[in-house]
Amino acid sequence: MIRALSEIKTCQLRACVLSIFACTVIVSACETTPPEPPTLVELGEQIFLNETFDGNGRTCGSCHQPNDNFGLTPAFIATLPDDDPLFVAETNPDLANNFENPRLMRELALILENQDGFDDLPNDFNMRGIPHTLALPTSIDSRDGPRTGWSGDGAPGDGSLRSFATGAVIQHFTKTTNRIAGVDFRLPTDEELDALEAFQLSLGRQEDIELPLPLKGVIAARGQEIFLDNTLGKCNACHFNAGANGDPSVFGPGAGNLNFDTGVENLPDQPADLTGEPNPPDDGFGAPGNGEFNTPPLVEAADTGPFFHNNSVETIEGAVAFYNGDAFTNSPAGQLLINATGSAINLDATQVVAVSAFLRVINALENIRGSIELLERSASAKNTPRSAIDPLLDRALHDTEDGIQVLSGGGIHPEAVASLTSALDFIRDALNTRTSARRERLITSAIAAERRARDQLTD
Amino acid sequence: MKIQRISRSLGSITILSSILFAVSAGHAQQTTERFIPIGQSPGISDKYSFIGEIVEVDAAKHTITLDSNRGRRTIDVTESTKIWLDSSGAKRKNTIGSYEDCQVGRRVEVMHLRDDESVADWIKIESP
Repeated sequence: MIRALSEIKTCQLRACVLSIFACTVIVSACETTPPEPPTLVELGEQIFLNETFDGNGRTCGSCHQPNDNFGLTPAFIATLPDDDPLFVAETNPDLANNFENPRLMRELALILENQDGFDDLPNDFNMRGIPHTLALPTSIDSRDGPRTGWSGDGAPGDGSLRSFATGAVIQHFTKTTNRIAGVDFRLPTDEELDALEAFQLSLGRQEDIELPLPLKGVIAARGQEIFLDNTLGKCNACHFNAGANGDPSVFGPGAGNLNFDTGVENLPDQPADLTGEPNPPDDGFGAPGNGEFNTPPLVEAADTGPFFHNNSVETIEGAVAFYNGDAFTNSPAGQLLINATGSAINLDATQVVAVSAFLRVINALENIRGSIELLERSASAKNTPRSAIDPLLDRALHDTEDGIQVLSGGGIHPEAVASLTSALDFIRDALNTRTSARRERLITSAIAAERRARDQLTD
Repeated sequence: MKIQRISRSLGSITILSSILFAVSAGHAQQTTERFIPIGQSPGISDKYSFIGEIVEVDAAKHTITLDSNRGRRTIDVTESTKIWLDSSGAKRKNTIGSYEDCQVGRRVEVMHLRDDESVADWIKIESP
């Protein structure tokens, strides 16, 4: 009996020693490999996608969807469940009036903005599309300071991208239209604003491309010539290198991003008007506005329609053709161009299609660049959990899908479309496979297919 | 010949672009600024603004003087100066104010113009 008790005590002692040893090992392991703190960009991504700021449930990502080019289209909206926070105006009685127009949101991806003030909510508002947040390092700076949002004046405070989130929370995250800080939402802290800015600046292109590109397709190559010809397409003057900045040889060095009144508001038969829903004129920059809107980058244009601040044109061909029409020709910007060059823009249908083909090809090249970057990141993250890798692969998948769509939508480069389709299959398999070795091989194959597509578009 | 035409076109555009710049001054959005409590305007508070208590109001000169975090300042309140009443501390909605709301003893934040610290761009007055 005594022996038995002694054995039990010995066993308990051993177990106790083993437990202490195991705990020591665990603690020691924790001490030697502490988890990496998130970078500012990673922190910004978490905030962008998850933080509601104690508001109505929306996050920045509610409207700037990572899988919709950090913008929002009617097609994507149609995939969302009815309880998605985007639709708070349909589910929160306090936001049922004067906060959004659900029909215009669902059919045309238009968001309600009170650009000129909050004192006459039923009548004083604008319906605007959601601009993507790609390539922001190339599109914000101007001689007059930062330009954010559709009219260049989207941010309160100092008007910077860093301050933009504060205004967005007040406009779009509020629980009621009283918009009381500390009640209807909380404002982002300085640390959150820093992180959000870093994340947004990390998205997409970090610098402008340099034209002309050695394009292989004859239609896109001709489109590029027209784009660059200041007597024909005249596009490059305001969209220098297909970006968002003025041509320095035209507007002077460091012109940066510019605002223009191009007459989009005067387009006839705008989709929002055709619905019969209230859609007051948008006066653009300032309050009251001067009719001017911001110049967006064109590299990302073809897969981020609908186009212009009011989503009034669905296709890239329609957006190019806009500059042939009366609305632009009679606008202040159109008249300046006529006075300067002696003629309006007057492209025939084949030329409109050629310029559009050029825009489709440079968009596809950017899709490929972005996909390769994401695939390489996911391949190099060897000890990273799937939960961190899969979103990268998912974004690469969507970028590749976009590349396929912009090329096939214009009926150009079927061989590159086939290569991208092959890359898409590899990425899908990589997302579905369970073993990391096989996933790595699939990612390598996807990168090779993306590069093949790139080589089919340009020398 | 074609190059000459392009150069002529570019030259004309260059001249006319100065007209565009004249009307395209960049600035921040003021409509949402009204809802930001005193001292919390991003990139502005403490940098381009004075925060303190009004110690004098000169209605004839349309100025206010305040003891601020950056010393005693006398500020011109112009017709284009936006004035808001910050009631967020009392959990009420911020509203539009007027020069008459600038009263001695009230806490304010005054954003001054970038190129002239003596002129108010906007004023937020703490509402009881």
